[in-house]
Amino acid sequence: MVKAEKSRKKFAQTLRNIWNCRMLYLLLLPVIAYYIIFKYLPMYGVTIAFKNYNIFKGVFGSPWCGFDVFEKIFASENFWRSIKNTLVLNFATLIAYFPLTIILSLMLNEVSHVAFKKLAQSILYLPHFVSWVVVAGIATNLFSQQGGTINWILKSFGVEPIPFLSDNGWWIFTYVVCNVWKEVGWGTIIYLAALSGVDETLYEAAYLDGATKFQRLIYITLPSIKSVVVVMLILQLSRMMTIGLDAPLLLGNNKVMSVSQVISTYVYRLGIENAKFSEATAIGLFQSVVNIIILLAADKFTKMIGEEGII
Amino acid sequence: MNVKHIGKRNITVGSVILYFTLTILIFICLYPFLNVLAYSLSGYNAVLSGRVTFYPIDFNLSAYKQILGRTQIWIAMRTTVFVTLIGTATSLVLTIFAAYALSRNYLPGRSFFTGLILFTMYFSGGIIPTFLVVKGLGLFDTLGALFIPQAINVFNFIVMRTFFRELPKSLEEAAKIDGASEFQVLFKVVLPLSLPIIATISLFYAVGYWNSYFDALLYIQDPDKYTLQLRLRNLLFGEELNTSGRPNLEGIGTEVMSQSLKMATVAVSTIPIIVVYPWLQKYFVKGVMIGSIKG
Repeated sequence: MVKAEKSRKKFAQTLRNIWNCRMLYLLLLPVIAYYIIFKYLPMYGVTIAFKNYNIFKGVFGSPWCGFDVFEKIFASENFWRSIKNTLVLNFATLIAYFPLTIILSLMLNEVSHVAFKKLAQSILYLPHFVSWVVVAGIATNLFSQQGGTINWILKSFGVEPIPFLSDNGWWIFTYVVCNVWKEVGWGTIIYLAALSGVDETLYEAAYLDGATKFQRLIYITLPSIKSVVVVMLILQLSRMMTIGLDAPLLLGNNKVMSVSQVISTYVYRLGIENAKFSEATAIGLFQSVVNIIILLAADKFTKMIGEEGII
Repeated sequence: MNVKHIGKRNITVGSVILYFTLTILIFICLYPFLNVLAYSLSGYNAVLSGRVTFYPIDFNLSAYKQILGRTQIWIAMRTTVFVTLIGTATSLVLTIFAAYALSRNYLPGRSFFTGLILFTMYFSGGIIPTFLVVKGLGLFDTLGALFIPQAINVFNFIVMRTFFRELPKSLEEAAKIDGASEFQVLFKVVLPLSLPIIATISLFYAVGYWNSYFDALLYIQDPDKYTLQLRLRNLLFGEELNTSGRPNLEGIGTEVMSQSLKMATVAVSTIPIIVVYPWLQKYFVKGVMIGSIKG
């Protein structure tokens, strides 16, 4: 009796709370509508990966076909190649980008001249805001074999022209260079934030104890940003299966298709250019599922080594 | 004085190397922009020979004059400005609404709604199902397709929510005791305190809209609705070397000329960002730091 009374009171209280928050729900209404229409409706749309999609019958009307579409894509050589390329490009970029970002942060952190530091940061962040179309355009101008500025400079040193954009290996190199150029400065922000949080008295004490600059770096600076480094590394590793469409689509060309075709560009070409909706959706779904698995594993791993989770 | 830098007042070998290396890195960072300007301002023969490196050779403005004469570039510019303004405003309003409502810890169902939003970061239907939805709504080949389907960015939402949460509660409580409604609290108390974060998020959205070409590639068919970046892409990568669609009768001369023209278009499409950027720069570092705590 008393219990029922209590729970009824609680229920009434909840209703009153909801009523009091009606303005907030009004604010949320367009947001939730947006998410349902543009994010959750397409999630229902992934069912076409299990259907024989027919434009005239639409998502609902097309007949189910089980895992036929998946069998088809798993048997396709292009599919596996696009996965391999995604991983290769991501790892190549990570290997260059990750240590360079940390080194650049440490360097910027050492700069005591305030105006110089500010100027350096402003300039180094700038490429992040430039579009991939522009970056690819500039890269083509700089790296092309005929009339490219870099090859022109190399030629004046007697070096043979290098096929930066048309040879598979060199193309990967160029891709990594463009990515690093665009994002390395921006990537320092988080490390600089961690570095600025290091307790000054530690440096003071070490200095008084006669620690050299290098020793202070090894024993104070690096350990204090260790957890940020670990979390960033795990975060980036957990994104290994994903590449934004822009860079490979814009930098790529027919000559290097066998290394520049990644999952996202493959989905785009298959789905939009060739109208194979079911197959493209199935590949996208496969990628999403793999991503979720990697992410959950990465989160578990970060918690295991004593850091805060990443989800 | 910062103790970390004790001993650095004097010029040491280490500091010389440090400043020298950073100066080189800054130069590498800027050089591509310099190259673009040099190309766009160089004369015909210099571009043809490929010897333009750091500064314009045979300085002339013909590439820029040519852009001025290209109505398509101006139409694309107008479309892009329109989409950037409307898109940024829409995104900002929706993000503020979501972030404000979900930063209130007394809102019943808050974690459910937050979860609904965060989940989309990890799982999505992918481009084909999204394309079908956009098409189904009749947005295909309309400018709406360029900002409505991507109106809210989860990362920006997180940044803003974190900011709202950390605002001092006392002001808000005082306003409520005085009888202010939620809307009044939002518009009269919270937003005036949030100008730095609003500037940051606006910059992120605006740059995103300004730079996006893929949505236009995906959803726009009518060339009159092409955005600047899509025009630029077509211009750079060969699909529209001449404006009219006529075959290129002038031969190689125009081809080389177009290299200057390409770079001039790159410059024109990038300058707005470079102009806006320094004014907002002091704000966004903090925004990124808030966002990177989670996300």
